[in-house]
Amino acid sequence: MSTARPTKLGEAPKYAIVLFVLFFAFYPLFVMFCISFKSNEQFQANPWFFDAPSEWHWENWAVAWGIVKNYIANSIVTAVISVAIGMVMVVLTSYVLARYRFKGRNIIYYGIIASMFLPGTAATLVTLFWLIRSMGLVNSLWAIIIVSSAGGQVAGIFILKQFIEDIPKELFESAQIDGATHLRQITTVVLPLSGSILATVAIMKFLGVWNNVMLPLVVLRDDEKLTIPVGLLRLEGEYVKQWGEMMAGYAIASIPLVIMFLFTMRWFVKGLAAGAIKG
Amino acid sequence: MTQTALNNAEVAPSRVNSKYTPARILARLRTVSLLYLLMLPTILSMLIFSYYPKLDVVIKAFYRWEPGQIEEFIGLKNFQDALSDPLFWNSFQLVIILLVANLVKMWPGIITAIALHRLASNRWRYIFQVAFVIPMVIPGLVWLLIWKSFYEPDFGILNRFLNLTGGMHLLSWLDGTKDVPGVMPNIAEAITPIINGPVTWLFASVWGMLTFGAVAMTCAARNVNPIGNIKRAGLTVGLAFCTFMVVQLAGQDNTTGSAIALIGCILFLIGIARTDGPAWLLWTMWMLAGSWTCQGRLYMLPILVAVAEVINFAVRNMTHTIAAKDIVKWIGLAVLVVGCLLIGFGKIWTVPTGQFEFGSPAWLGNKDLVLPAVIFWGFPWVGTVGVLIYLAGLQQISNDVYEAAELDGVGPIRRVFSIELPLIMTQVRINLIFMTIGTLTAYEFFLILLGPAGGPGNKGMVPGLYMYQKAFLSGRFGYACALGMVLFMLVLLLTIIYQRYVKVEK
Repeated sequence: MSTARPTKLGEAPKYAIVLFVLFFAFYPLFVMFCISFKSNEQFQANPWFFDAPSEWHWENWAVAWGIVKNYIANSIVTAVISVAIGMVMVVLTSYVLARYRFKGRNIIYYGIIASMFLPGTAATLVTLFWLIRSMGLVNSLWAIIIVSSAGGQVAGIFILKQFIEDIPKELFESAQIDGATHLRQITTVVLPLSGSILATVAIMKFLGVWNNVMLPLVVLRDDEKLTIPVGLLRLEGEYVKQWGEMMAGYAIASIPLVIMFLFTMRWFVKGLAAGAIKG
Repeated sequence: MTQTALNNAEVAPSRVNSKYTPARILARLRTVSLLYLLMLPTILSMLIFSYYPKLDVVIKAFYRWEPGQIEEFIGLKNFQDALSDPLFWNSFQLVIILLVANLVKMWPGIITAIALHRLASNRWRYIFQVAFVIPMVIPGLVWLLIWKSFYEPDFGILNRFLNLTGGMHLLSWLDGTKDVPGVMPNIAEAITPIINGPVTWLFASVWGMLTFGAVAMTCAARNVNPIGNIKRAGLTVGLAFCTFMVVQLAGQDNTTGSAIALIGCILFLIGIARTDGPAWLLWTMWMLAGSWTCQGRLYMLPILVAVAEVINFAVRNMTHTIAAKDIVKWIGLAVLVVGCLLIGFGKIWTVPTGQFEFGSPAWLGNKDLVLPAVIFWGFPWVGTVGVLIYLAGLQQISNDVYEAAELDGVGPIRRVFSIELPLIMTQVRINLIFMTIGTLTAYEFFLILLGPAGGPGNKGMVPGLYMYQKAFLSGRFGYACALGMVLFMLVLLLTIIYQRYVKVEK
């Protein structure tokens, strides 16, 4: 972006900074893969790099898969359902808020946004837990699903509303003249235009649900119902640590996200940039 | 049909008369209720799962609440307990340290974004941009657990690295053993006379020194007018008095009195903010931190302010106005730096930890090492999403600005402060707000890392964790709610302050 003609000397420090940061961002990833193929003794002897491929302990991955596959299934179910429910709510609400002026609109909009700045503390976890309990949802994945689909909407509404406001009004109006209902306007105008933003919001939400630790930790009890973070936490808390299996478990826990990112990366980078500018 | 009615009402306010015909009102009503119907899921779910728990915290704070068994209204008792709970307030000392640390930790992200932005090659920038997204695929908890494994005493990569590179010897040399103190404890001992002697005599304590430096720096930032000065001095004295009373009364177990004094403090703080605007307020935070620690000698606070004002006035009278600003600023900065150095060398590493001697320090298992370990956590502290957000802000800067800067001969480092930083202030402010909220309310990290007791010697006990412990381990749910409300009010106050006073200049 700089206007001066780039010189080698001037560029070097910038690359150095970026590469330095990227190295540390990727190092834990590297460590994870490296150690996941080692036995404890190999880890002790050489924590820095891969051993010769013939000494790789593939069984770590098999063991880890046996432990975490259940957690992963739970997490996927939870995340997918809550993202689906959440996205429907986000789209409907931001469509209404962006398109229409009516009594109470500001109250609702600022009420939604304000909750972003009214953080939940550990105390809110307490009251939330007793609310879930009174609904009879303790030890049920539905508790996680309902709460997370309600929870992560705010940022989504904030971003999407501003995006819909920028869609030319004529598009909506011509759809109206054709007699399109609200739902039809959403499916024909909003959804096709806001693809990358929607993808970004959905991914953010998915990550949020996937990473949620505290709520599952206090709500879920049975081992077969745990989501991935709580399951990993239990694995990590075991007395004798099998490092290789643990790291393989961590790696497996990341794979669903890797797959998701592979398909949505392009949108995500674009959407993040576009959404952030507004913010 | 209803759509058009609505649009007409919107577009043509001149037809006000016809707006009130029954048919129109009915149509309008139907439209609006349809809109509300569309938003119903969001509204309901937000009310139930976001607002109700928060409201419930406020209500339950006045109860002795052990769910299922006891639910008894006890008025302000919980708050009285909270105000006189030393563990709770100690946890705030930790939060202040973490806040300062996090403030410093925001910089690498900004610098990285600027470096990325200035890369000449568009192709590489895009590649790096994508690369920054990739680490996000690791779930947050996995990230945390991997870093935790780095800190393991015997297996951990950190200790291996230190042993391999000789860093461990260096640390051991700095630290010494229980019998023979190393370099750092010796320096601390050597500095102690200075801290206790001249520094205390002049500034009441090292923290007073920081306060003085902060005040001097804010003096430089504003224009002098006599009436403003008197008002400002009055407010500062009031603030100092109230803070003094808070500490005194809390010491005497007079919780009501100290609560009133606390309200007085907040009012004076708001008054100061209103007269002096942004810079002053940030420094007031410093002053609070200072007064917190030099509790016994709070009368020094107004004296320090007065001295700083006098110096500012004298310098301005003696020199050219523009030069005076710089001079006062440098005086303040120099005092701040010296103060920080004195604290760093004189107060922190005073006793050998004895952990490095055998080459396997337990970073998370030793009460002296927990805080350094927590602060070093996540080196180099660059949140990849943060970088992308800053970058998006930076890319809006037009090339003209850079060309103008180049014509004026502005160097690459000055450009950071004169162009890039002011123009991404919006993003910085948002990050600042979320960072503050996050630091104040954080507990997951400490719970997973150090357990519910906050690690060895309760060194990692943050307010959120204390709350969690009180609720889920001691079963005092009502008390936890009261603590939550206190914390919540603090967060709200800080958020409002940031919103109003961390200026975004276009």
